[in-house]
Amino acid sequence: MTVVLLTGVTTPLGTALAKALVEDSDIQLVIGVGVERTPPAQPASDSFIYESWDLGKERNIRRMLFGSCRERGVTHVVHSALHRSPLHEGGHVHRLNVESTRHLLRFCERHPTIRRFVFRSDVEVYRHDHLHPTLLREDQPLELSVAAKQRVRDRVEADLTICTRMGMSSLSICVLRMAEVLAPESGSQLHDWLLSRIAIRPLGYNPMFNLLSLEDAVAALIAAIKGEAQGVFNIPGFDSLPLKRLAELAGVRPVALPGPMLSPLYRWRERVRKTEFTYEMNDGRFHTSDLLDGTRAQKELGYEPQHGIDFSHLKRR
Amino acid sequence: MLSSDKHVFRDMLFRDAGHGYDEFGFHPETARWGVKVLAPLYNTYFRVKGHETDRIPQEGPAILAANHAGMLPVDAIMLSLDVFANTAPARWPRASMDHFVPLMPFVGTFFSRCGAVAGSRGNFGRLLDAGELVTAFPEGVPGIQKPIWKRYELQEWRVGHCELAIRHSAPIVPVGIIGSEEQWPQVGHINSIKPFGAPYLPIPISPVPLPVRIHIHYGEPIPLHEDYAPDKSDDPAVLAEAAARVKGAVQELIIKGLEERQGLFR
Repeated sequence: MTVVLLTGVTTPLGTALAKALVEDSDIQLVIGVGVERTPPAQPASDSFIYESWDLGKERNIRRMLFGSCRERGVTHVVHSALHRSPLHEGGHVHRLNVESTRHLLRFCERHPTIRRFVFRSDVEVYRHDHLHPTLLREDQPLELSVAAKQRVRDRVEADLTICTRMGMSSLSICVLRMAEVLAPESGSQLHDWLLSRIAIRPLGYNPMFNLLSLEDAVAALIAAIKGEAQGVFNIPGFDSLPLKRLAELAGVRPVALPGPMLSPLYRWRERVRKTEFTYEMNDGRFHTSDLLDGTRAQKELGYEPQHGIDFSHLKRR
Repeated sequence: MLSSDKHVFRDMLFRDAGHGYDEFGFHPETARWGVKVLAPLYNTYFRVKGHETDRIPQEGPAILAANHAGMLPVDAIMLSLDVFANTAPARWPRASMDHFVPLMPFVGTFFSRCGAVAGSRGNFGRLLDAGELVTAFPEGVPGIQKPIWKRYELQEWRVGHCELAIRHSAPIVPVGIIGSEEQWPQVGHINSIKPFGAPYLPIPISPVPLPVRIHIHYGEPIPLHEDYAPDKSDDPAVLAEAAARVKGAVQELIIKGLEERQGLFR
């Protein structure tokens, strides 16, 4: 019997994963967890239950896991509840991103029925450095610089928190470092970058990007839930293309300006239009190509990207 | 014969990552345009002549290891064009870029669209596993940094290409390039100025490269992977021995090429 607890179910990825799991005959029950009292969209099925919990509090995690989750015999936990916006910083964001991850893992290890823990991490945890190979493997250095934004630091810390328990925990642990999911409300910096009519990029640079569709992200998570493989896995997407081409496909006019002008321009845009795209977080990847090498996920999880991004959807906005 | 016909590019090995580019940013259409633009340099200006071109592997992974010199990577470009011209179906060798090149505006992007990749083990391993032909210049920056009076004196020969050859079962084809070391001589360089991350600012003798004739001599492929087991690819003694073997083969080709050359411009 497979009963899945899914955190972050109110995000587009969480919702899509919940729908796919509900339709899967191997999964008996899906418990979706979000902070919202009523979820914006949930699968209409008897095999789906929505529960509202604020995971920023340790006692809530304990009550959730040793209350309803024990009663229902949860076997698998998929943790993807990380704060999406880089504009929100501070202790409460850190509590959700890092402390809740730590507590969740700790309680899962003590839990009588949970045996597998899947954590959704992402490409942001890797350090951008032109000395690294273009295709990043799982053993590439992580972004541990003090200059990194809290969003990145938190993701690295959460990722490492999980990784340090691998091999020592009673749980079977799987960390998926996913390429950027180009979808609204997903914390995608590129999606926000493409919201303007004009997308400004550094003059003389046109690096390659790899993008993950929601369908492939869901497929990777399902492969991790059903599989037995443990460890860290890169999850690349189907689309690899240059930044300029990406803007063109999204119906946005790409404009190249000298690099030093970009930071003040984007800071101004952030303040005036309240956008989430932060140039400091993207400076490195707007200059050099960093793509995920998915060889390990292909071999051990059987994951292979198959669905391209629907760029026409971006054009219609 | 150097051809920029569409069908030549269509037939060559290319792993499209979805939008007409491979995962390293190689874009055959840009490369085709590059061949068109650079053909006069190959055919007329440098009058490149390939010798023993039948030694270029027609398929499978292989590493072309050559001597390196010149202010701009003319040797790498001419070698790529020569391989492209002398293989059927055409093979497009993937050149290695020094780490500072991808950071250079326009240049880095153009080179990657033309198939060059940043010279790291990860990148080359991936290309060799995919059966690609890659070029390596084991002298690295000291090769292009050397002054004109040290031409054809091979600098310290790095071992990375041998490690990759053993690990990924790829033969090494030694290549001696004659003419490239005189095409744009330098009198010195300013180490304190590092434009776009380059290690120094070169001071050339002439404002443009000289029309020296370039001869490219290909040696017998060296199957290091047949002589050493893959687990030997981390053994420093084995790598030093293998690198000395490749360096010796390149040195022999250079000596032969210099003896056969009838003049700087012929």
